[in-house]
Formats: sequence, structure tokens, C-alpha cells
Amino acid sequence: MRRLLATTFGLLLLGGCTTMEPAPFCDMGRVSSQRALVPGPTMVPDESSPLKEMPLNSANITDANIINKLYIRAITARRTGTGTVEVVAQVVNCTDFPLNAEARTQFFDAAKAPSEPVSAWKRFQLPARTVNNYQEFSMGAQTVDAYLIEMRETR
Amino acid sequence: MRRLPAILTILASGLALAACQKVDNTAGAPTVYIDPGSSGPVKGVGIESQDIVGMTDQMLRDMLSQPRLANAATPPNVIIDSEYFYNESSSRLNKNSITDRLRVGLNRAALGRMQFVGRHYADMVAKERELKRQGTVDQATLPAAKAQKGGDYRLGGRITSLDSRDPRTGMMQRYSQIIFEMVDLETSEIVWSGIYEFGKAAQDDIIYR
Repeated sequence: MRRLLATTFGLLLLGGCTTMEPAPFCDMGRVSSQRALVPGPTMVPDESSPLKEMPLNSANITDANIINKLYIRAITARRTGTGTVEVVAQVVNCTDFPLNAEARTQFFDAAKAPSEPVSAWKRFQLPARTVNNYQEFSMGAQTVDAYLIEMRETR
Repeated sequence: MRRLPAILTILASGLALAACQKVDNTAGAPTVYIDPGSSGPVKGVGIESQDIVGMTDQMLRDMLSQPRLANAATPPNVIIDSEYFYNESSSRLNKNSITDRLRVGLNRAALGRMQFVGRHYADMVAKERELKRQGTVDQATLPAAKAQKGGDYRLGGRITSLDSRDPRTGMMQRYSQIIFEMVDLETSEIVWSGIYEFGKAAQDDIIYR
């Protein structure tokens, strides 16, 4: 009986120690398992490419320093009033520290060839455990069919 | 005479040390090309190449998404130069590097959605027109125009900054704000605005030339 009481008391104490981590809670294991790389274009016809690369219409963290620190929550793409494409990526800082990141976008035409020069790196600040948006516009209008966002850490 | 061994030792040591003093006959640090769109090895608190590349790219993409500028039934005539682009900041820079990059990037990307007037070349064009009309030179191949193009819109803007320094540590901080405005040249209405701002801090400021 005494042993049972001691165990119960111990469990109650442990329960009291449980603290809830503030949002956002980033499950990097699941993020990693959902990552999908696609075969790149191959130079030899009818042969699979040895290159596995980032899929189009996605945002990719290409910097090992922040790949387990940032999480891309959502990406939206829409046409503006002039027909250009606006892409917006919502980026979550999963850490307790402020981070500076930068991103750029390459837009592609229907043939999956780059339709214009890649955009300049655009910097954005992410205070601890916050969400910020990276936004970019294409220069071309009807020529744009797809996009690819690259993201890296900056100072 | 008893000091002879000591003197000889000192002389030998001196000769040995002199032999160590060689010319460092190796190549210096080579000049390297750097990406103008990223921070280079020399960094300060002022406006740098990556800021110019970033701000002009952002502004031209934003302008091309504005229907009034880039989707008009008749493409507007636009003047983009540094005539009304003022630098009131403590950053030393040639403001033409901003307006030139903006005009060139926009002209290449616009593909007829806007027309660009080279007002900074007006004098050059006027001289050639005068020579043609005097008959000093022939009419060339393009048809004669009644006058040079007028502008529908012109770029204006301002660069401002706010500096602060910690006297104990020497740490320097600068907030830079660059605004861009497109002004209707008949009504003075501002039809488009863009802003680019950033803050930088550094232990030692570098010299910009």
C-alpha cells in the first residue's frame, strides 16, 4: 500500500513538471519524412537523371544551417491585375532566437525553362517563434507557368 | 681575449638570424569576383551592392504588377533618372547606380508594357535633330518626329538615414530608408510608391568611396 502511494505521488510530481512548449511546435521528423525530391532533367535521352532536385512550385530551404530551424507553412501563388505572378511563402521560425533569412524565386515557362532572370535575394527578419512572409512578383505575365523558391540564412 | 668566444658566438648568432630574413616571395591575396547580390567580405552600415540589386529588383517587379503602369491601353511614357531622386542620407553613393539599374531592368522586362524616355539624353537628341534639320547630315532611316517624346510619369524619390553610435563600444548603427514614387507629370498625382528599408549595425564603419 505504501509502495503504491509512493508511486502515485511520484507520478503526480512528474505530471506537475510537464510544461507546455509555446507555439509554433515544429515536428522536424515529420517535415523531413514529407520531403520529396524529384528527378532532374537528364542530358541523356531515355535515361533517368542521376540528379534529384527540388520540385517546381515549391519553396526549399537550401541551407544546412537553418533547415531544422525554419518551417515553410504555406505557399500561395496568384495572378496580379497585370497578369504577373505573385508568390507568397509563410515562414515559421521554430527557434527561441531571432533569425535573418533571405530567399529568391526563379519563374519558369510552360516548357519548364526559366522565363526570366532569377529574382534578387530578398531579406526578411524572423523574431523568435514568429511567422513572416516572403513575397515575390514575376516580371513576365503570361509566360510564367511555375516557380521555385530557394531560402538560406543571411546576416 | 677571454671575451673572444662570446663575441664569436654573438656574431654567429647575428649571421644566422640575418639568414632568416628572407623576402616572402609568395603571391598576395588574389582579386576575386564576388556576387553583387550577396554581402561581400567588406561590410559596413551603408548602402551596398546587395542593397542596390535587391531594392531595384523589388521595385521593378512591383511596378510591373501595377495595372495603371503596366496594363494601360496605351503604354505610358516613363522617365526614370536621378534628377528628382535625392540622397539626404549619410551614405555616400552615386544615386545613378540605383536609377540606372531600375531603368535598365524595367526596360528589359517591360516588353512594350511601358515606354521609356531618355530625358538624360535630351541634349544629345536635340543636337542630332538640329544637324538633320540644318541639312548638315541626312535624315537617316527613321521618319522625322515632330518633337521628342514627353513623359506621362517620372520617377522621384529620396534616401534618408538615421545614425546612432555607442561611444563606449564604438558600435555604429544606421537605419536607411529609400522611397520611390512615380508621379503623373500633368497632375502631380503619385500613381505608385515603393519603399525599401533596412538597419545595419557594425563595430567599425568602413569607408565608402
